[in-house]
Amino acid sequence: MAGLSETKGPVRRKKLKTNTGAGYAFLAPALLFYSIFFVYPVVFSLIVSTKRWNMLVPLSRARSVGFSHYSYLLSDQVFLGVLRNTLIYALATVSLTIVIALILAVLINNAKLSVLWRFIYFAPVVTPQVAIGTIWGYLYRPNNGLFNSILRLFGMKPVYWLTDPNVALFSIIITAVWAGIGGSMLIITAGLKNIPQDYYDAAKIDGAGPFRQFFYITVPLLSPTLLFLTATGFIGAWQVFDLPFTMGRNAPARSVMTVSWYVYETAFQSLRMGRASAGAFLLFCVIFGFTLLILWLFRRGGIKGYE
Amino acid sequence: MNRKKAIRILLEIIRYVIIVFGAFWMILPFFWLFSASLMTPEELISDVPKWLPEKPQWNNYVQVLKRIPLLMYYKNSFIVAGSVTLLVLATSSMAGFAFAKLRFFGRKVLFSFVLSTMMFPVFIFLIPVYYLMKLFGWLDNYLSLIVPFAVSGYGIFLMRQFILTIPDELLDCARLDGAKELKIYTTIILPLIKPALATLAILTFIGQWNSFLWPLIVTSTAQRLMTLPVGISRLSLAFSTVETQHLILTALVYQVIPMVVVFLYLQRYYIRGFVLSGFGNL
Repeated sequence: MAGLSETKGPVRRKKLKTNTGAGYAFLAPALLFYSIFFVYPVVFSLIVSTKRWNMLVPLSRARSVGFSHYSYLLSDQVFLGVLRNTLIYALATVSLTIVIALILAVLINNAKLSVLWRFIYFAPVVTPQVAIGTIWGYLYRPNNGLFNSILRLFGMKPVYWLTDPNVALFSIIITAVWAGIGGSMLIITAGLKNIPQDYYDAAKIDGAGPFRQFFYITVPLLSPTLLFLTATGFIGAWQVFDLPFTMGRNAPARSVMTVSWYVYETAFQSLRMGRASAGAFLLFCVIFGFTLLILWLFRRGGIKGYE
Repeated sequence: MNRKKAIRILLEIIRYVIIVFGAFWMILPFFWLFSASLMTPEELISDVPKWLPEKPQWNNYVQVLKRIPLLMYYKNSFIVAGSVTLLVLATSSMAGFAFAKLRFFGRKVLFSFVLSTMMFPVFIFLIPVYYLMKLFGWLDNYLSLIVPFAVSGYGIFLMRQFILTIPDELLDCARLDGAKELKIYTTIILPLIKPALATLAILTFIGQWNSFLWPLIVTSTAQRLMTLPVGISRLSLAFSTVETQHLILTALVYQVIPMVVVFLYLQRYYIRGFVLSGFGNL
C-alpha cells in the first residue's frame, strides 16, 4: 500500500505553509512509538533469527547460527505444512467471505427489514473469536453435535469435522467465513450507498436485468471497496490464530496449525526464539510478495484505489 | 408482459429465501448456545442432540459465577480496551492532522512508512515486544497489555483521510486570527471529526476486547491480568469434570451477550462512521 492520492475534487488545495516544528510535534507520539515498538522489534527479530536463543540469557550470549534456521525450516515438513495451512486458510477465507458478503449485501440493500438482517449477520463480528471457536467446536462434535445430527436427518454419514485431518482445516474455514461475512457486508453496504441511483435507472431504461446491473454497474463501481476488503482481509487472515487454536487442539498432527500458532508454540512453549523468528520472517516474505501481486493485479484491472 | 412480472416476483421470492436462509445459519449457533447453556450435563452429551432443554437449568448461571472470576476478566478487558481506545484516538487524530494539514520535511516518506507498518503481521513482534516488556518490568501490570497497541497505522490512515476533507480555508482563517496549530487541532479539527472518532473508537474497542494472542502470552505469568478471551480459552480447564463441563456454555453466554447488546445500540454510529469516512469511495 504505497502512498495515497491526495483527494481531488471540489476542495482546492492551496500551498500549505511549511511548518516543520508543528508537524513533528503532532507526530512525536506516533514516531516515538514506532521507533520502540516497530523499528527496534523488526531489527531485533532479524538478529534473533540468526541465533540460538531461549530468552533466559542475554541475547549477546546467544550462539550465532547464521541462516541455518531458515534452511532448516524450508526443508522441515512441519513448517511447510504450517505454511500450506496458512495459505489455504487465507485464500479460501478471504475469497469466500467477500463473494458471499457481496451477494448478501446487494440482496439486503433496500430489502424489507434490512437493518434487522444486517444486525443478524453482524453479530459474530463483535463476538470474541475464542467464543465462536468454542461454540462451533460443540456444533462440530462427531457423535452428539448438531451438524452431524442434521446430516443424519437427511440420511447422510457423520463427518468428523475437527478430527479428520483432511476436513478439519475446511471446518475452521467455514466458521471463519461465517464469522467474517457481517463485517465485509457492512463496508460493501457503505460502498453501495455511494453508487448513484441514476446509473441503475438508466440501465433499466436500456432493458438491463438485475444480473446485468450487478455485473456491469455494481461490481465495477465497488472495485475500490473490494480491493480494500481483499487487502485488509489478507493481512488479517495471514495472522490467524484464535480460531485454529481454539478449534484445532484435538485435530491430529498439526493439520490445522497456522504460522501464528507455530510461532507462539515454538517461541513460548519450546523457547526456540531463533527458529520462531525465522519462521515469522519466512511467512512475511510470502505475504509481502502476495500483497504486491494483488495490487499489481488490481492495477492491471484499472483500479487505482491505493496509488 | 405477464411473464416478465412473474419472473420479477420469482426473483424477489428467491432473494428473500436466500436472506432468511442465511440469517437462519447466522442465528443457529447463538440459539443453540443459549439453549445448551440451560441444559443438564446428561442432556448435553446425549447421543440424540437436543435442541431445547427438558427443564431450563437457570441455576447454571449462578454456578458459573461461583466458579470463575468472571468479574475480574470483565474488569481487565474493560481497562485494557478502554485505555487502548483513548490512546489510539489521541495519537491517530494528532498524526492524521499532521499528515493531512501540516507541511513539513519528510511528510510523504513518513506517511508511506505508516501505511507499510500495517503490512507487518503481529507474529513478527511477539518475541521482541515480549522481551521489551520483560526489560521494562511491565509483565506484571496492565502497561504490557496497553502500551504496545497505543498507535495504530490504520487509525492514522482513517483520521488523515477524514481530516483531508476539511477545507484549508477554515484553518487559514483561524491562523490569520493568530491561532496556533494546537488550538486549531483542539477547537476546529477535533469537533469536526467526531463521527470518524466514534467509528475508530468502536473499531479499536471491539478489536481489543476480542484480542487473544498477546494477552494469552503476557498473562501466562500474571493470572490476575487475564482478559475475557483468555478466560474463555481456559474454561475447559476450570470446568474439566463431567459434572461441570456443561457450564462452559453457560459461561460463554456471559461473554457473548453483552457485546452483542452493546452493538445493537452502537450499530448506527458504526455504519454512519463508515459512510462518512469515505469508505465507499476509497
